[in-house]
Amino acid sequence: MKTKTLSSKKSDTLFSLFLDLPAFLLLAGFIVVPIIDSVVKSFQTFGIKNIITKKPGVWNNFANYLYLFKTDDFFGATVHTFSFVLGVVVVQFILAILLALILNSNIKGARFMRSIMMTPWVVPTVISALIWMWLFQPQYGLLKYLVSVVSFGRISDFAILNNPSTALTGVGIAALWKQIPLMTLLLLAGLQNVPQDISEAAMIDGAGKFRRFFSIILPYLSPVIKVSVSMSIIENFKQFPLFWTMTGGGPNNATTTLAVLSYREAFVGMNLGSGAAVTTLWMLMMIVVIFGYNKLFRVQEM
Amino acid sequence: MKNTMKSDSKIFSFFKYVALVGILLFLLFPLYWVLITAFKTNMEAYRYPPTFYPRVPVLDSFISLFRENNQFFVYYKNNIIVSSVVALLCCVIAIFSGYSLARFKNQWNKWFFALLLASQMFPVISRMISLYSIMGKLGIINTLGGLSLALLAAQAPFCIILMSSFFAGIPKEIEEAAYVDGAGRWRILFSIVTPLVKSGLVAVGIYAFLMTWDDYLHAATLIQADGKRTLSVGIALRYLGELSYDWSLVNTISIVGTIPVVMLFFFFQKYMIKGLVAGAVKG
Amino acid sequence: MKKVLMLLLVVLVAGSFLFAAGSSEKGAADKTVTIKVANYALLESGYEQFWKDVKTNFEAKNPSITIEWVTAPYGEIVNQVVNMAGGGDMVDVIFGEIDWVPGLVDAGLAAPITDILPAHFINDFFPDVLKSFEIDGKPYGIPLYVSPYVLYYNKDLFKQAGLDPNKPPVTYTEMLSYAEKLSKLKDSNGNKVFAFGQTTASVPVSGASLNAMVFNFGGKVLDADGKLSVDNQGFREAFEMVKLLDQKGYNPQNAKLKDLRSLFALGQLAMYYDQSWGFNGIKSINPNAHTFTASAEPLIGGSGSGQSLLQAHCFILMDNGKARRDALSTFVEYVISEEVLNDYLRDLTPAYPAKNSMASMESVVNSGILKGASPAAGRVSVQTFIPKISALNLELCSLAQAVTVGKQDVSSAIEKFKASAVVKISQ
Repeated sequence: MKTKTLSSKKSDTLFSLFLDLPAFLLLAGFIVVPIIDSVVKSFQTFGIKNIITKKPGVWNNFANYLYLFKTDDFFGATVHTFSFVLGVVVVQFILAILLALILNSNIKGARFMRSIMMTPWVVPTVISALIWMWLFQPQYGLLKYLVSVVSFGRISDFAILNNPSTALTGVGIAALWKQIPLMTLLLLAGLQNVPQDISEAAMIDGAGKFRRFFSIILPYLSPVIKVSVSMSIIENFKQFPLFWTMTGGGPNNATTTLAVLSYREAFVGMNLGSGAAVTTLWMLMMIVVIFGYNKLFRVQEM
Repeated sequence: MKNTMKSDSKIFSFFKYVALVGILLFLLFPLYWVLITAFKTNMEAYRYPPTFYPRVPVLDSFISLFRENNQFFVYYKNNIIVSSVVALLCCVIAIFSGYSLARFKNQWNKWFFALLLASQMFPVISRMISLYSIMGKLGIINTLGGLSLALLAAQAPFCIILMSSFFAGIPKEIEEAAYVDGAGRWRILFSIVTPLVKSGLVAVGIYAFLMTWDDYLHAATLIQADGKRTLSVGIALRYLGELSYDWSLVNTISIVGTIPVVMLFFFFQKYMIKGLVAGAVKG
Repeated sequence: MKKVLMLLLVVLVAGSFLFAAGSSEKGAADKTVTIKVANYALLESGYEQFWKDVKTNFEAKNPSITIEWVTAPYGEIVNQVVNMAGGGDMVDVIFGEIDWVPGLVDAGLAAPITDILPAHFINDFFPDVLKSFEIDGKPYGIPLYVSPYVLYYNKDLFKQAGLDPNKPPVTYTEMLSYAEKLSKLKDSNGNKVFAFGQTTASVPVSGASLNAMVFNFGGKVLDADGKLSVDNQGFREAFEMVKLLDQKGYNPQNAKLKDLRSLFALGQLAMYYDQSWGFNGIKSINPNAHTFTASAEPLIGGSGSGQSLLQAHCFILMDNGKARRDALSTFVEYVISEEVLNDYLRDLTPAYPAKNSMASMESVVNSGILKGASPAAGRVSVQTFIPKISALNLELCSLAQAVTVGKQDVSSAIEKFKASAVVKISQ
């Protein structure tokens, strides 16, 4: 019997390849080829003209890359991207784990709260950008009013998106609003997997709340944390619609991230070559970050 | 000793509730604000200090949405078509490849898995222009079908991984028993294994639907005819208008545009929550 | 298994339906000539009806020609047209701004209007205006109507501040003294009134508006060869003024033109620069705006003479072979006529006609809104065309933001601007 089930490794492989085929073709055609193509274009003089006349781009000795380093834009965009990712991911993690712990304690209505808190997650990104623009609106926005009330009228011109030093935070708040629910949900599921008896045993030992959290719960959670944080890193690294809708990269380029810069170079400046150079470097950075992140987690686990 | 512990935990639970209320307010109050703005007139919406409930609730912006700005419903219909098609196809693809990944541990599948992980990382912008010319050559540019395919490719990786975690939970013995009974590979897959992962399929379908509903960049680049646009782009158009803002209308559109996904989510939330957790954590 | 087959069938049927939607349109196009008109204005509620009527009436008059709209939001339409052309699908005409011309010419899309339109039609246009569309001696693009930037002001607020509503400021110095009084006002809800609006948000059209302000001060941004040339008094003074307006709290920070229009419509902005057609936006927020809106010429600053930048909504044409070229010519001649534009210019888009035969049309002669600003139309400078004009305009916005919300001093901000703008426009 055993021989029968394991009969044909070869046919297993063939069958599995066949099952993979549709997805593979789809990914090859719509993701892999276009990405390779854009990396190639990043080494070429490639403008709108080339698309229209169907002329291939011309190799230009790294001119697109050199051009990126001639102004501060690329450096600035890199800094903005990393600060955005770092800030959003850290705050998101803290708030999400706090909320998950609270919802996991025996609190009344936890199930109900768990489901309504998910609402922001299903709101489309463009709509959440609009919602926050409306709240941040510099003349009649709610936040302006709340800030002026809380500060007893001292700050009466609160306009978070108009100030270069706060605009990134403003977009970050909108990102947090949309993303906290999912991370909370995942962490909550992880918490529910922590065996009750272990946690209780620790309580009998007299372990305090914080110690219990750090030495028992956290290690149990670590696979969930690893995945949910890496999902959040990727999502925020790629974030585009929020920036484009809320600030367009301004004021004074304070929210120009790599996503905004590449879009602007390629589609507003109509220079696809230099736009592709930005995306190529951007992808490289992303790979390094994710790679480093995985490595870090592995070290920590040991 | 006991007393201090008690007051300790009282303080603790006080902070617990403060934090809970604070975070929930942050998550839910903006939704309330959108809701009430939709019922204000533009002149009231522009009032400062703002009013916390509409003084004179009006349905003007809803009426104008249905009467004058009803192009919106074309976007709506298109998005429902595209999202449904993507959700359906995504389920089919996820059954195929998810099963393959969960069952057959060969060299190819290792690479395939790596490809799935990697392809989720790449920014959409980097492939937009090339995608445009490729789809142009295939003659599927500016069609809802072409848009669906591009979106399917974007959503497939996560869905496949999610699905494979469900398949991995099915004991192999069930299949082997069926095999002994003489069932072919396809029959095993479709009539024995797949019914066991129904909840996973629902999760995949809804996830794909939600993510497609959220798409902006694909539709913005790949569709030119106004009659074929989808919702996010449609909304951005209404909003991005250069001439002026109509905040009441924008808020109304936000509500009407969000309702179907919220309903869908709450209707299927049992599956969704289970599915997301399974997919993310095990994948 | 049956279920699976059913599912596949459903998918196939749905699929064929989806893709068929694309091909059936092509089939229908064979009988008549179809011209594709890229037009963002169809998505703007204020203009939608006008363009729908244009299509209906034009097709009734020319049954052999069909108009197919290609739409995208204002900020995306050029991409859209370019993307389409990349996929082998060229539109015939794009309705847009004068600043879009160089980019489209550089992309090899725009055709000289002399290749498509008859000479007698072109010769009717004011030569000075057509000059604004020239690249290498050939005009690429034909204006529907033109407008310099105008200064809109609120007569009611002027009265409240004790100023003469029929005496708008003429120079920037005068404006500042008015602004001091105006900025002390509150509107009926107790909100602050901004005295003077100049758009600085990061969109190309704000850059064009800042460029116009540089002209007000007699400065320039580019020399005749399209090289960056900003080491002049006027350029500097213009941005010092932007900074001063910000420091005094007169100018709403980082505002788009539509923000300014909202504020103006609600009586919270006393004066601001806009294209003349911005009035349509004001009206869409406050239908009674015509009771207090008046216009004036752009201000005179420093040693300048109040020159301004010409803005025009125009058609940029593309060559798709004889049949479509002829149909296109018919369409353009139809639209740019007194018959079609009369109501439009009176009710929707206050602006000036661009050709002789329309100069004395009723809606222009009787335009209440534009009365004060009309001499400005004769005082426009021509901006040199460079392919990267949008990139340059965005840099101008960044400069304005640096000296206002960025709190940098003007000299060092200009140095930074020069370093980055030179690279941006040379690429």
